[in-house]
Amino acid sequence: MRVLVVEDEAALREALQADLTAAGHTVDVAADGEEGLYAGSEYPIDVAIIDLGLPKLSGLDLIRQLRARGKSYGVLILTARDRWQDKVEGLSAGADDYVVKPFHVAEVQARLAALLRRAGGWASASLVCGPIELDTRAQTVAVRGAAVELTSFEYRILEHLMLRAGEVISKTELTERLYAQDFDRDSNVVEVLVGRLRRKLDPEDVLKPIETLRGRGYRLSLPRQGAPGNATQ
Amino acid sequence: MPHSPPSVSRRLLFAVAVPLVFFFALTVVVLDGVFRELNEASLRELLAEQVVGLVTAMEMNRDGALEVNLLDPESRLDVPGSGVYAAVRDQDGKLLWSSPSLTGTGLELGLRLPVGSEDFAYQRAHDGSQVAQLSRGLEWIYAPGESRNLVFTAADSTEPQRRQLWRFRQQMAGWFGALVLLLLATMAWMMRRALAPVRRLEHEIGAVEAGAAQGLGADYPRELAGVAKGLNALLESERNRIARYRDTLGNLAHSLKTPLAVIRASLGTVDSPAVQQATVQLEIDRMAQIVEHQLKRAAAGGGATLGQASVLLLPLLTDLRAAMLKVHAHKDLRIELDVPALLGFLGDSGDILELLGNLLDNACKWCRSRIVVSAQLDATRALPQRLSIVVEDDGAGIARPDRARVIERGVRADEHVPGHGLGLSMVRETVVLYGGSFLIDTSPSLGGARVELQLPGR
Repeated sequence: MRVLVVEDEAALREALQADLTAAGHTVDVAADGEEGLYAGSEYPIDVAIIDLGLPKLSGLDLIRQLRARGKSYGVLILTARDRWQDKVEGLSAGADDYVVKPFHVAEVQARLAALLRRAGGWASASLVCGPIELDTRAQTVAVRGAAVELTSFEYRILEHLMLRAGEVISKTELTERLYAQDFDRDSNVVEVLVGRLRRKLDPEDVLKPIETLRGRGYRLSLPRQGAPGNATQ
Repeated sequence: MPHSPPSVSRRLLFAVAVPLVFFFALTVVVLDGVFRELNEASLRELLAEQVVGLVTAMEMNRDGALEVNLLDPESRLDVPGSGVYAAVRDQDGKLLWSSPSLTGTGLELGLRLPVGSEDFAYQRAHDGSQVAQLSRGLEWIYAPGESRNLVFTAADSTEPQRRQLWRFRQQMAGWFGALVLLLLATMAWMMRRALAPVRRLEHEIGAVEAGAAQGLGADYPRELAGVAKGLNALLESERNRIARYRDTLGNLAHSLKTPLAVIRASLGTVDSPAVQQATVQLEIDRMAQIVEHQLKRAAAGGGATLGQASVLLLPLLTDLRAAMLKVHAHKDLRIELDVPALLGFLGDSGDILELLGNLLDNACKWCRSRIVVSAQLDATRALPQRLSIVVEDDGAGIARPDRARVIERGVRADEHVPGHGLGLSMVRETVVLYGGSFLIDTSPSLGGARVELQLPGR
């Protein structure tokens, strides 16, 4: 996996680079926000580790700009400030998880592994398929304007299906979106979740938003609004 | 010294004095004009009487010459330069008679006038004095059936009028001047009285600055009571903040000494490098936790102070909910928010986010899958403790004997074991700063822990 590390503190940056390389990742490093923006936009990054206090371009702005450029890979933030205000700001800007300094490298690795599995769908703030509207920032879903209470797993499955509306998504792929570790993988869970999603999104069974393709997976049959042409093939 | 704007009392005084002086000046001008008009009218009347007297006193002698027989032998008409003059001319302007008083004055009285008309004019004598003259053209019947058209002129020096006018003007100026001064003095006195509380405020703030007083006194007038109260609240919160910083610094220094001592002692022993390294690693972790804990304590905003805007809860909780779903992505969570859109917390947004972040984070950790956050306002209650926020989950809950311990822990950092608690001691400290309260029990609907905060709200 290709990991981008944006950290201005040289000792920390080098330690992370060494440890992540040792763990088998390809590591790109950047010492400030502008370098980070360049590397994060130009290289095929799978996951980024971004310090919040960066020179030239702050970590928050860096994440916002990467997301604005359609980069949807997972972002892990490093922060020295342990107040929820700072964490929520970072996560609202588009980050997916945080680690508070000082940290153990093992913790960073564990968070990275989890992130790599459930790379975010952060390229746009809201996804709309027919009457279903999904707000990726607030992680809320509404059908015909009425809010629908989903659990986080139900939400993530719907988000993934909507992001790739029209495509067939396998159960394995959906399961990977839910669990970080290899254990706990039970394809029945996805079946149960999809069943619950159908009931919540379409209680009268008229919309039939999610198709089951026996032996292959699931497909969201409603076309996505504002999606690039190839997404609906 | 920079140029400072004029004081409030000076501005007020100026704002009143300028129109006042203008108004009085206008009054003086108007009164002066009226007085002069009246003067002239009475002078004309006097001259008209004199003309009539002149007509009556005139007769034609046997030679056909005119003769004025004054009834008063001591008439001023006979005294040269007396200030009372008279003359008679015929229709062509030829002087037929003039009073002896005219001698030497250089005055040319009378003019050509048709019968029945009248003329009033001023003239100056050689000595510079002003004379008012009234001429009348009359048909003078001196014998039955015989008449002549003549112009009769009477003139009086205006000197008495001038003196009167000046006396009037002096008196008027004196009275009005005194009145203006009196009014301004009254205004200044009133202003002093009205602004006395402001000066008192200034004085008391000075005393606080100098360290002579702890806060401002009570019983200010209504307009200033709010300012005084707000300043007192600000001073109080500032004092608390300083005290907290001092405590934090003291606690930090104290609590860092122990791990430092352990490290130093370990380096002095004959333990193997591996054991020493493990000891140092352990103590570094401990120090990191201590620093983190103290920083959090010090960062708490410190209660509602004056001018505190309210922080809307719903957008904040929406962000926090999204953050929690990301952070606890490995768990299938359902976080419901039952919060009215316009409900606000009176205080620092960082503080409320920290409180709710800790409570929600705990709930996410300990719940099975469901969390409900509800909030409501009890407007019947006085501030603080008007806003009630409840976080419930469907986890195992906190056992009754543990509840008090979980909250009470960590009054002093020395006694605190960071990292093992639920962050609830921090929650308690912050709630206390806002004068609120904090309660842990069991959720009746979800069965897990139920934490209720009472805080100032709007």
